[in-house]
Amino acid sequence: MHKKDMPAGALVLLILRVLRGGPLHGYAIAQRIHTLSEDELRVEEGSLYPALQKILIKGWVTASWGTSETGRKVRFYKISKPGLKQLEAEASDYDRLNKAIQAILQKA
Amino acid sequence: VLRELFRRIHYLLNRRKFDAELAEELAFHREMSEKSGGVPVGNALRHREDAREAWGFMWLDRLGQDLRYAFRAMRSSPGFTTAAVLVLSIGIGATVAAFSAFNMTMLHPLPVRDPDSLLRFKRDSTASSSTEVPYPAVVFYAEHTRTLSAVLAQTSASLSLEGRDASVAALFVTTNFFDDLGGMPAQGRLLTQLDARPDAPAVVVLGYPFWASHFGSNPSVVGTAVRLNGKPVTIVGVAAPEFPGLSAEAPAFWAPIERHEYFVHGSEILTDFSGRLNSGVRMFGRLSPGSSPTIAEAELAALAAELRRQHPDDVWEGERLRSEPGADAQLLGATAAFAAVGSLALLILVVACGNLGSLLLARGATRQREIVLRSAIGAGTSRLIRQLFTESLALAMMGCGGGLLLGWIVLKGLMAWSGAPPWLDPTPDWRVVVFAIAIGFLSSVFFGLAPAMHVARQKPQRSTATLTRSILIGAQVASSWMLLIVSGLLVRAFDRAASTDPGFEYEHVVVVEPSLAAHGYKADRARTYIQDLNQRIRGIAGVEDVSVTPTPPLGGLKILSKLAIDGRPLVVYIHKVDPRYLATMKIPLLAGRNLIEGAEDAVIVSASLASRYWPGRDGLDQSIKIGEESLKVIGIAGNARSLAPGDTDAAELYRLARDSDFPDMAVIARTSGPSSGLVSPFTAVANEVDPGFKPRVHLLKDEFDSHVRDIEQSAVAVSLLGLIALAVSCLGVIGLVAYAVAARTKEIGIRLALGAGRIHVLKSLAGQLERTVLGGLVIGVVGAFVLAQLIRRELYGVSTIDPLAYLGAIVLFLFAIGLAGLWPARRALTVDPLVALRDERD
Repeated sequence: MHKKDMPAGALVLLILRVLRGGPLHGYAIAQRIHTLSEDELRVEEGSLYPALQKILIKGWVTASWGTSETGRKVRFYKISKPGLKQLEAEASDYDRLNKAIQAILQKA
Repeated sequence: VLRELFRRIHYLLNRRKFDAELAEELAFHREMSEKSGGVPVGNALRHREDAREAWGFMWLDRLGQDLRYAFRAMRSSPGFTTAAVLVLSIGIGATVAAFSAFNMTMLHPLPVRDPDSLLRFKRDSTASSSTEVPYPAVVFYAEHTRTLSAVLAQTSASLSLEGRDASVAALFVTTNFFDDLGGMPAQGRLLTQLDARPDAPAVVVLGYPFWASHFGSNPSVVGTAVRLNGKPVTIVGVAAPEFPGLSAEAPAFWAPIERHEYFVHGSEILTDFSGRLNSGVRMFGRLSPGSSPTIAEAELAALAAELRRQHPDDVWEGERLRSEPGADAQLLGATAAFAAVGSLALLILVVACGNLGSLLLARGATRQREIVLRSAIGAGTSRLIRQLFTESLALAMMGCGGGLLLGWIVLKGLMAWSGAPPWLDPTPDWRVVVFAIAIGFLSSVFFGLAPAMHVARQKPQRSTATLTRSILIGAQVASSWMLLIVSGLLVRAFDRAASTDPGFEYEHVVVVEPSLAAHGYKADRARTYIQDLNQRIRGIAGVEDVSVTPTPPLGGLKILSKLAIDGRPLVVYIHKVDPRYLATMKIPLLAGRNLIEGAEDAVIVSASLASRYWPGRDGLDQSIKIGEESLKVIGIAGNARSLAPGDTDAAELYRLARDSDFPDMAVIARTSGPSSGLVSPFTAVANEVDPGFKPRVHLLKDEFDSHVRDIEQSAVAVSLLGLIALAVSCLGVIGLVAYAVAARTKEIGIRLALGAGRIHVLKSLAGQLERTVLGGLVIGVVGAFVLAQLIRRELYGVSTIDPLAYLGAIVLFLFAIGLAGLWPARRALTVDPLVALRDERD
């Protein structure tokens, strides 16, 4: 599944969700999503970084520079309080939408 | 949300640093993914740009890019840029000048101290109203009011100045006038409270223009004495030119109103509570701190009621003073005039925009290569439109600057030419600048957007190109033609006013206006005075005929009545005359008999009135209702528009003056030879009747000439606008045909090679323009007709359907446009088929 197939809001939701586990850098976020989706979802740089910049501006995450496992300087993203709230809201929204779609798929 | 905005701005300010960080981050990502055997997807630079988009403000970066690019493009074609900015400056300059004039006179209060707290008061009750308040009442209000910190009054008069034939204008003002309004002297001092005392020496202050014109700006006149109305008065100073006063008048003298009877012999203005003798004054008040117009009105109504107890006959029942802003300029007070001037100026702007639009369209075709290249390296259509439109916007803003400058110069020149008061300041203020920018933006939308959209779409679609071009040219044609027609109408009106017979004698008539009412004359004394004056004037050598009337020709007093004819109102000018009037003014009696003394219900009407009121009948012996009176027509007179010389529709009615008219009576005399040498004998004779004052003596010819000059000035001004529009349109047509010829050189070559006649080639070129020009002409006629209606409200004598004006305009227009089109079209005729076919350009 490619980035074009991923709904725009969904990527933000996934990023926020994986960040809830603790601060990560961009590449690690992409990796986490990839592994957690059992290799179904691949997040490209072209969509990951614009999304990260967007949620930085929104104030849902904060960024700080640290050192990666390979010893390079890299930016780590950490979910903020408004981000947690946003995650909750988006997750429940997604849940409702998903249930509605499932209902139609099964009944129709 | 606010915090988000701050974050965005933070990113904007530090965007270089954040961009570097982003690049670093992306590079790390790529490294890592290569290490784990991934394949890099897409362009790293593109990713970075996409990410930056999240910060907002990308449009700012783009705008900067577009502007830089636009200025580079302008620099590379300086000829086009200069022409475009010039054309735009003319268009914007015209509208800016019109708006500045409106702004200066209508939107700004007079430049006096604290104009907002100044109020003008007028009398009002359920039964009557008056713009003037009797002076003793003003004094009463001034003594008792608590809501007004100062009460001012002014009234105008014309006085005779020793050694000068024509009378001079004086404004009588309360002595607190200058002080309260913050007036400054240019020389000497202004009026003070001490000058009001009855035992103080009589003093006057000179108006600045009069000081310059009559005293040659000589500072040593301050302290000298002059004789006004025969009374010695001392000049104590000159008012500064920047001081506007509270009316548009620029008086020769400012005098203390408290000393009115010293200057004006027999004046009862200071004591008359009734206001019946034309003796009211204009009343102004300065609101006390914390007061409001409503509170002041309530207090003055209570004071008026108190005054009514003292003067029950003179103060009206339920009288109150209505307030209005006191320092509103209302100089020209004519919204219709501004609407007319504004629409003429807008037409110039439309011509300029239409012109520039077609130029841009033509230029777009030559930039096709550049457009294709830009889109090949990734520019989208909307980005291209934005780029091209930004170029137009940059042009428009330069045009704005030019327009502001040009508008300022034009306005300053016009003000100098028309002798506008020196305190009017034509320097653009923020309103004018905002207006200019708005107009600039609107014009760039009008001339730039359609061409930009068309050019950016690349695949040249003939139909939209033709449509865009047609609209642009059509608008130009319609507007410039409208301007030409309107200027034609004005020129014709001027011509008629100047050359055709107004229907009455004006070359050899002297008018003596003693203004008896102002000198305290009641009807009986006035009658004796007028009869005496009449006798003495008859005795002057060269006088052929004398008549007395309160409505002298071209005078200030106009009595109008509206008659309804088939539901359409007809304005009738009512002349109050004696039986000698028609003979004196050489107005022919066409039918019936003359008025005779005593027969008060008999009237004479003009032929124009008779033919419209009783079409098909001669009108004699008909009865006509004026107000409540029913009058009988005993004679028909020739048309003589002596009260409204420009109004070709004017209808006149002559009836006998009554005894009660005597205090307002003027004496008019026809002389056998030129009247110019007779002013001094007339003045001398008039002065003998009552040595206390000097009547105003003037020549009817002077009034007539000044009236004609008004029409002439507007005709000249509008013709100038029309010619500018025509010149700009011609430039546009030259450019357009030149472009058409250049673009179709190959086609013309082929046609010529296949044996087409040169006339055919010309015809096919002209065919492109034909329908557009015709459409524009039709719209132009309709527009001109509407515009002429508007102008007619201000300037009588402008006919809305003058075939000669329309015909003249079309001939001039088609001739100029044809010539402008033929000039570049010559090149089509000299095309060498061989050269044209070898031309590889497409």
